[in-house]
Amino acid sequence: MRFLFSILFSLVAFAAFSQQKVSGRVTLQTDGEAAIGVSVKIKGVSGGGVTDLDGNYSLTVLNSNAVLVFEYTGYVAQEIVVGNQSTINVVLSENMSTLEEVVVTGYGAQKRSSISGAVSSVSSEDIAERPILRVEQALQGRTAGVQVAQVSGSPGSALSVRVRGVGTINNSDPLYIVDGVPVEGLDFLNPNDIETVNVLKDAASAAIYGSRGANGVVLITTKGGKRNQAGTISYDAYYGIQSPARLLDLLDATEYATLQNEAFLAAGQVPRPEFVDPAVLGEGTDWQEAIFQTAPIMSHQLTFAGGAERSAYTLSGNYFSQDGIVGGEKANFQRATVRFNGMHDLKSWLTIGNNLGFTWLKRNGLTENSQYNSPLIRALNMDPTTPVRKADGTFAYSQYADTDIANPVNAIEQTYDTWTSNRLVGNVFGDVKLAKGLTFRTTYSMDVTFAVSNRFFPRFDLSNVPSISDAPAAEKNLVNSVGVANNTWKNWQWENVMTYTKNFNEKHDLTLIAGTTALSNRFDTNGGANTNLPSNDPDDAYIGNTIDPIESQSAFQSASESSLFSMFGKANYELNNTYLFSATFRADGSSRFGANNRFGFFPSFSAGWIASHEDFWNINAINFFKIRASWGQNGNDRIGDYSFTTVVYNGQNYTFSPDEIITNGSVALSAANPDLKWETSTQTDIGLDLEMMEGRIGFTADYYIKETSDMLYAAPIPLVAGTAPPIQNVATAENRGLELTLNYRNYDHALHYTIGGNISFLKSEVTGLGRGGEPVLSGYVQSATAYAAKTDVGQPLGSFFGYVTDGIFQTPEEVEAHAFQNTGTAPGDIRFKDLNGDDVIDLNDQTFIGNPTPRISYGFNTDFEFKGFELNIFFQGTEGNDIFDNTVRYDFSYVNRPSTALKRWTGPGTSDSEPRVNLSDPNQNVRVSDRFVKDGSYLRLKTLQFAYNLPSGWLKKARMQKMKIYVTGQNLLTFTKYSGLDPEIGNVGGSLEIGIDRGFYPQARTVMGGVSVTF
Amino acid sequence: MKNILRLTVFAGLFLGSCSKDFLEKDPIVGVTEENFYKTEADAIAAVNAAYATLQFQLSPAGHFRWFWGDIMSDDSEKGGSGDNDTNTLLQLENFKGTSNIDLLESEWGANYEGIYRANVVLEKVPPIVMDEKLKARILAEAKFIRAWNFYNLVIMFGGVPLADHVLAPSEYNLPRASAEEVWNLIERDLTEASEDLWVRSEYPLADLGRITKGAAQSLLVKTYLWREKWTEAKTTAEAIVNSGEYQLVADYADIFPVYGENNEESIFEIQYMNASGGNFGKNNANEGSFTNVYTRARGAFGGYGFNIPTQDFVDEFFKEGFEDPRLKSTVFRLGEPMGDRGIFTIDATGGFPYQYYPKKYFSNKSEDAPFGDPIPNGGTNDRVIRYADVLLMHAEAAFKANDENAARTSLNLVRARVGIPSINFSGQALLDAIYRERRLELGLEAHRFFDLVRTGRAPAVLGSLGFTAGTHELFPIPQSQIQATNGALTQNPNY
Repeated sequence: MRFLFSILFSLVAFAAFSQQKVSGRVTLQTDGEAAIGVSVKIKGVSGGGVTDLDGNYSLTVLNSNAVLVFEYTGYVAQEIVVGNQSTINVVLSENMSTLEEVVVTGYGAQKRSSISGAVSSVSSEDIAERPILRVEQALQGRTAGVQVAQVSGSPGSALSVRVRGVGTINNSDPLYIVDGVPVEGLDFLNPNDIETVNVLKDAASAAIYGSRGANGVVLITTKGGKRNQAGTISYDAYYGIQSPARLLDLLDATEYATLQNEAFLAAGQVPRPEFVDPAVLGEGTDWQEAIFQTAPIMSHQLTFAGGAERSAYTLSGNYFSQDGIVGGEKANFQRATVRFNGMHDLKSWLTIGNNLGFTWLKRNGLTENSQYNSPLIRALNMDPTTPVRKADGTFAYSQYADTDIANPVNAIEQTYDTWTSNRLVGNVFGDVKLAKGLTFRTTYSMDVTFAVSNRFFPRFDLSNVPSISDAPAAEKNLVNSVGVANNTWKNWQWENVMTYTKNFNEKHDLTLIAGTTALSNRFDTNGGANTNLPSNDPDDAYIGNTIDPIESQSAFQSASESSLFSMFGKANYELNNTYLFSATFRADGSSRFGANNRFGFFPSFSAGWIASHEDFWNINAINFFKIRASWGQNGNDRIGDYSFTTVVYNGQNYTFSPDEIITNGSVALSAANPDLKWETSTQTDIGLDLEMMEGRIGFTADYYIKETSDMLYAAPIPLVAGTAPPIQNVATAENRGLELTLNYRNYDHALHYTIGGNISFLKSEVTGLGRGGEPVLSGYVQSATAYAAKTDVGQPLGSFFGYVTDGIFQTPEEVEAHAFQNTGTAPGDIRFKDLNGDDVIDLNDQTFIGNPTPRISYGFNTDFEFKGFELNIFFQGTEGNDIFDNTVRYDFSYVNRPSTALKRWTGPGTSDSEPRVNLSDPNQNVRVSDRFVKDGSYLRLKTLQFAYNLPSGWLKKARMQKMKIYVTGQNLLTFTKYSGLDPEIGNVGGSLEIGIDRGFYPQARTVMGGVSVTF
Repeated sequence: MKNILRLTVFAGLFLGSCSKDFLEKDPIVGVTEENFYKTEADAIAAVNAAYATLQFQLSPAGHFRWFWGDIMSDDSEKGGSGDNDTNTLLQLENFKGTSNIDLLESEWGANYEGIYRANVVLEKVPPIVMDEKLKARILAEAKFIRAWNFYNLVIMFGGVPLADHVLAPSEYNLPRASAEEVWNLIERDLTEASEDLWVRSEYPLADLGRITKGAAQSLLVKTYLWREKWTEAKTTAEAIVNSGEYQLVADYADIFPVYGENNEESIFEIQYMNASGGNFGKNNANEGSFTNVYTRARGAFGGYGFNIPTQDFVDEFFKEGFEDPRLKSTVFRLGEPMGDRGIFTIDATGGFPYQYYPKKYFSNKSEDAPFGDPIPNGGTNDRVIRYADVLLMHAEAAFKANDENAARTSLNLVRARVGIPSINFSGQALLDAIYRERRLELGLEAHRFFDLVRTGRAPAVLGSLGFTAGTHELFPIPQSQIQATNGALTQNPNY
């Protein structure tokens, strides 16, 4: 005791004697300008300071052995021994290597160099280079193995994100975790608030998320303040104009009438008298012009951030608004967000904090991607001889169309469909330092959403003579109606995690993590509808405002809930910074699983070897070389609630009594499966990371095999059962892929540049469908009254399936010589291949005719920086995917067609691809065939940004830290053979509706200007 | 520090111990099967759910009674917007249909859904403590519904799997029973049902629409005709006549309008209404019929223009040297008003070259549903068995049982109602007259094709349309069902 005392005394005394003051200035090697906010610490001592606006710092050290550590994000950290210097000036050089970057993994963080799994990252700097409208876009083309595609180009639409292909016929969305909170959908998140996005791709990385990690995990961290950081105020804003990138070449009125006349004659009918002289009809109406428009987009963001020694915070607010290029304000999406992230070291052993984000969003919806009644499908199919408006200014209707194809401009005008959501996502946490290296974190998270859907169907009638109401049914709505639905999602999660880190003998690094999670979800919905409101004003559209509330009012209410309890553990061990080992284990109990399988267990292992850290490594050109391998299992629990039990449902009604009283009936609609459990995906990954030329060249490669087993599928049971099939764990699928990422950075000179790219190859197939192996049909095509896609063993999910065309019959002899197709088959009709050789073309002559999933996805970008100027060019594309073109409603003889129809067959030798026109199509040229399957590969200039950073001298006068002005173009160029409006078509319905163009709402070409200022 | 450690351990234990209850979530809406089938109300709800299957028309593809009964016959053709509009129906109509046509699978599945729900009633209701008379009636209603669905199956597909109880998963591969066995079950169910069912006048008005004793007997008569049990058919038909529960409506034109629903002639009528919230006549929770919009003219009439009467059918109404008065209640002809929806002109129908449209299931605009998706939700009840049908079946059975007088009497009752001359033929001419009367009286009510098959006249009448004897009496067994049972089901001959 006395001994200790004396040491302490002597230390204090020594300190008192040799305290010395050090000061200096930190500058950046890149531009020689002051480095503001650089953290300056004394090694081994808590506290420290930051550089001021001129890059100056000053602090007091205890002795000349003290070591100063200068740290600045994106720059190589420097350590300098003080010695007897009183002034130490430092020049920081930019860090080109990404090895030291800390990557957020499940329930922890690791240096990139230490990771033995497959993790892709996108940082806020990447995002800043190209403004994105939604978080998912940050991943598109940036992360190998993550395929991102637009579900619709309309404002506020989700994107489909597929990590390493689609491994299941069920929900294929990855698990999104925002600041530790699992969330559904990302529309609430403001992209400017994102610090990093990390994608856990291999099973070993995702296994810590157990029964929910099978589709990959996307970990999103929002910006928090940093300790010891001068307060900043930033304002970011942009404004842009969106316009359609492309319009289709359709028949004009003269061409349309010419073909109609031919079609009538071919069917033995007298052509319409008004088409006798097609030339007088001129060009007619361009319905695409009528519905497309330019539309504004804007964003404003204000951020306050800062940090003291013991606390840090970020407070931000954002407003975003986007109109649609179809529908304008009727497709408007608006979002306002407020975020407060803060943390405070309350005690030496306790840190508390929070990440809270509130979002208000409002989306006006139009009917989209519908072959029946979307404005787009109507614009593409409406005849050009009908004007948009009549002479009196009211909307016109087509004399020829009856169902479905109605005036799209009127339809947009009559749409009042709004989704308004208020959502709070966030957490509060406490970090407790229990002992050296041992910390405990408890986090309570919530995700609470209140969303209201309001719909109003106004009264309208496009009839020329309203008294007889001559307009077809789709062009009038004689009784208006209103509907409202209130939805509430209340999810909470309580997570407790213990972390222990220890370094033994400078050789062994050990991290142990153990934790529990309890998660509860509840969904409530209720609403009602009413009809016949005296007022036709959308502002009066309330259920109470009706003439007869009793007779026509309807109401509904429903609720469901689920819960999850999990325990997990993880061990990382690193030997000599060279040999890496990691193992995870998770046990999940879920209310969604059957009583017989309530708990699931998910293990994983991974290992890595950093060969370049071995003593024998003498390849100087390669400064980092790591090979790694991982194996693990994940689950997919998105099977809906209560699937394991037999529920007797009400509402199987029948009508009795002369007054037609609806009388309740109750029955179980599907068989139960108490054995129901999660889907399992087992994945093996082999990877390689290397860096050359001190980080100037970075290369990563991964090869994986991902097998999904126990896939949840309501495999059709024989219909003799009389009930819907129970969901069973029966199907299997396999994905194999290769992912390559290559980057070259050069910051050696005033011109900084980066060239990088990534490419992913994917092969996926269904390997089993359980029971009779009956294939799953999807992608209903109304014009052929048949399904276009079929999921079958040995094929990729949602593959196109139909007839194979073989040119056009040129002569009656050719028709005669070929297998029987249809009674009316004649020259000019399509010849279909008789695949089974039975001399009859029927359903048995169909085969697989296309694959909607890209075999190759890639992205590449180049950044140039020169004296404050920045140029960023980003391309993204896919290869080897097909699109089923379902944009023409051939089942109606009066619809307009693409101008390629002009190349129709009119006599022997005139065409071998475009069949004759005929009103009744006796040969059924319209059947699902490879005629409609088109190459959907594309290469797109996704972003082109040119920016200028104002020089620091000027900034200083204006008391600013940073000011950047930029111009960005999005979707400026697209190279594709696809003839439709947009080749970037993701899932447009269920998980098996992939790459079917039903009048896809195209992404806009956007040009915007922005400014970013930091004070 | 120790306290914190303790707290941590406590937190872990707490979560661990509560997890069992925490993870047990029963449905909030709906009840589990164990908690149901306890009360009289449950029993009624159970049989109502079986009734709901009578309304099925799309599940998932269309399987309307008039698809098979009318379009497959010489009375009507598919129609629609062209050959590509539900082309598979055209293939079937031309007797070129294949076993993978989804319409067949839908018909198959819908009937078994009805059979399943009837079986649930027959298994779950007996133990319920409740009024015994009501219980007996509910079980009888279920037996009728089961018989009705098997009847639909056997006349279309021949022998089918005999699911006479709720099947366990191990029984899903049930092979086909013989047609004879299926007919036996139908006959047994209907015989038993007609003992416990109430006669029409016994039901309170609130139960109008429920299966009556008369309905079970009528379907039994049909069953006897198919089985050529002439005496039983005749006796049972006479029991219906003698019950005094039914009589012919004075004016034929009053049968099909909305006010003619459940009239004194109606024996078995599937109830539909126009005012429900759902749409497209889909299986569940919907009370509307899709037939109205499906068979209405296109263009200004807002329909889909299916089930177009043929010229041959219309000509039949003129063969006695005058226009049979029933024609004007059966088809729309050019220039006639289509209810309150406007005058029938080619232009108004969207330019389709059809000269006739079916009238019996036409609904006026004023009868459209006031809300929901009003266009596809028709309210017209499906008149499955009318008293006139029973009289004509009686005539046929009596003829075959060598009682020509009784045959002529019943036949002439039907003719007298529409004021056309009595018939005094005998022998084959009388039988032909009875057959012909069925075509006229019951035209476009989904009887024709099955009448032709049942009486063996199909090859002669439909041969020119592609019908081949020995093949097209039956439709192909849906391919998907053969595959789903790993081939336990066998295909019908020549498919």
